[in-house]
Amino acid sequence: MPPPDDPPSTTTTTRTSIIDSLGVEIVGVMSPVSICMLLVVLILTSLSSPSTTSSTSPPPVTAATLIYVESDSDSPSHKLLGAVLDAAAFVALIAAATFLLVLLYYYNFTSFLKNYLRFSVFFVLFSMGGSIMASLLQHFSIPLDAPTSFILLFNFAILGVLSVFSPAVPILLRQSYMVSVAVIVAVWFARLPEWTTWVLLIALALYDLAAVLCPHGPLRILVELASSRDEELPALVYEARPTDSSHPVSPPASTPVASLGSVEMQPVSEASNSNSSSVDEEERSPLVSSPPVVRENLSNFNHEQVRESNNSNHAVVEMETGESETLALVEREGFRSSSNSDSEFEMFDSTRGIRLGLGDFVFYSVLVGRAAMYDLMTVYACYLAIISGLGCTLILLSVFRHALPALPISITLGVIFYFLTRLLMEPFVVGASTNLVMF
Amino acid sequence: MTVAAGVGYVLIALGPALSLFASVIAKKPFLILTLLSSTLFWLISLIILAGAWRAFLPVKSTELWPYSILILTSVGFQEGIRIGFWRLFKKMEDMLNAFADRVSKPRLFLTDKMLLALAGGLGHGLAHAVFFCLSLLTPAFGPATFYVDKCPSIPFFLISAIIALGFVIIHTFSMVIAFNGYTEGKRKDQIFVPFAHLIAALITLINLVPGGCNIGLPLLCIMAGTTLYYSWQLVWRRLTEHQTTRSSD
Repeated sequence: MPPPDDPPSTTTTTRTSIIDSLGVEIVGVMSPVSICMLLVVLILTSLSSPSTTSSTSPPPVTAATLIYVESDSDSPSHKLLGAVLDAAAFVALIAAATFLLVLLYYYNFTSFLKNYLRFSVFFVLFSMGGSIMASLLQHFSIPLDAPTSFILLFNFAILGVLSVFSPAVPILLRQSYMVSVAVIVAVWFARLPEWTTWVLLIALALYDLAAVLCPHGPLRILVELASSRDEELPALVYEARPTDSSHPVSPPASTPVASLGSVEMQPVSEASNSNSSSVDEEERSPLVSSPPVVRENLSNFNHEQVRESNNSNHAVVEMETGESETLALVEREGFRSSSNSDSEFEMFDSTRGIRLGLGDFVFYSVLVGRAAMYDLMTVYACYLAIISGLGCTLILLSVFRHALPALPISITLGVIFYFLTRLLMEPFVVGASTNLVMF
Repeated sequence: MTVAAGVGYVLIALGPALSLFASVIAKKPFLILTLLSSTLFWLISLIILAGAWRAFLPVKSTELWPYSILILTSVGFQEGIRIGFWRLFKKMEDMLNAFADRVSKPRLFLTDKMLLALAGGLGHGLAHAVFFCLSLLTPAFGPATFYVDKCPSIPFFLISAIIALGFVIIHTFSMVIAFNGYTEGKRKDQIFVPFAHLIAALITLINLVPGGCNIGLPLLCIMAGTTLYYSWQLVWRRLTEHQTTRSSD
């Protein structure tokens, strides 16, 4: 009698199921976001011992606290007003910086922008990363002397600079550095006062929505310029290109992009020679034809010591589908032409995957980090909300096929879930489980 | 009691879930997405329940009857949600089959459907473990431990970890049983799941009685073992039937 638990993928190759490969790209974007959030939560919870969270440490002087610095003794309405003013100032600053970026890009100062970004990556990794490293070393009493740590930090930062815009660096290294930059910036941002953080997140989500979708929004102009010139944006983006070496088990059916458009959208145009059953036939992935681009968050870092402003950390999610990696999907079974004209597929031969800008990483992690300062329950609820918002955005992306902001849905869901959990769920669950009554 | 104890409690509650995840679910990205969405589902149902009960909280007394009403309503609501979840699952199955026809791949196998049910159940179980157990475990990473009044013999963290373990198993496998029951239309399976959930939840009421946790914990583990056994029998039967029908074609 054959064993009951005979997984299909280990029997003959014809038993590979469609759920083996579906959703690879979505998971490929969600995992770095999850890792980034996890690292931020770990760093924040380990660094914030009770002695340092008292109000003796003044909040950093930043662009986000230009107008009003929150202190515990103010009334809630005063805090709210101050937070709104702070957020408005910050968003105005970011909008101005984004317009400056658009201007520079329009006049073809691309190499200047790239060098500026390289410098800002170095600054983030070396200086801000260095201060985090110093506090971690201090907190855990790690025996590492100053010259060694300086050299290690310097090497780390230089390698990061090298990996940012160079195509020769292995993709895994580049992805790791993107995540590190996002983690460092998010840890830094999470030190803002509480009310300011929440209002700032909401304001940024609204700004992002406006900047990407409005006809004269700066990010939309930027994206259109870049796609009309058919070159890459000079920005820090995370590229979720699948690392093929890590998928030895999955059958060739793991086309990275096919998964996205599979269930939700109708494929667009027909590819040629649909009746061939040759083994080398490339599979068409049912995705978009025109190449919208997924970019988010152009991160420009103002390197002034006193005022840090993260410009253009806005989620501009476009999907770059002009090309996606084609792996021979169903080539072994041949390709049967479908009868109706609707189900015809588009051919791709690109090497790019979904891209998510670093600002999205940063602000998702800021939200989760701020939730971590309250309780683990809110962390998990916000994590789920953000991930589901990201999933929704990716699905919308495959439907609309042009740049979409990734911040609004996730941040809205995250904020809603945070307050619902904190106000509603926590008394319920904690009351039940401390009495050991569970369901 | 230090990081080692904290990690130990986490692993007691989540050990089987993590190994299930690593061995079965992590290999197929679609199952990861199913797990995440079912966790979200459970979270939303919990928030709705908490919203409905907010006016009556906190329950001041530790008598049985407020908590039993709480449990009855909560379990009833969650079981109702499970039917809704099954409807969504059917729709998704139809969409997946339509997509499979479009790309000329085989339709969903029986094992695929069961894997999806497993992922859904594991999502529920994970959500339960995180919200009821893990979020309270933060003090366990510190230098001391804590005992509840009603149960002075076992540390609070250990009890909640074991209860969470029991419920993870119950949630995971009752989803498999429920989906199979609804698909096949068998009354016995359909009734078993809410019944098992309710009994398990009522068992935890025993913990309200002083010294009750010494009885409640083993009973809960027995309940979890029963669910596991029932689901094992069901899956075995289904798969052997399926194999025989396939091989007889």
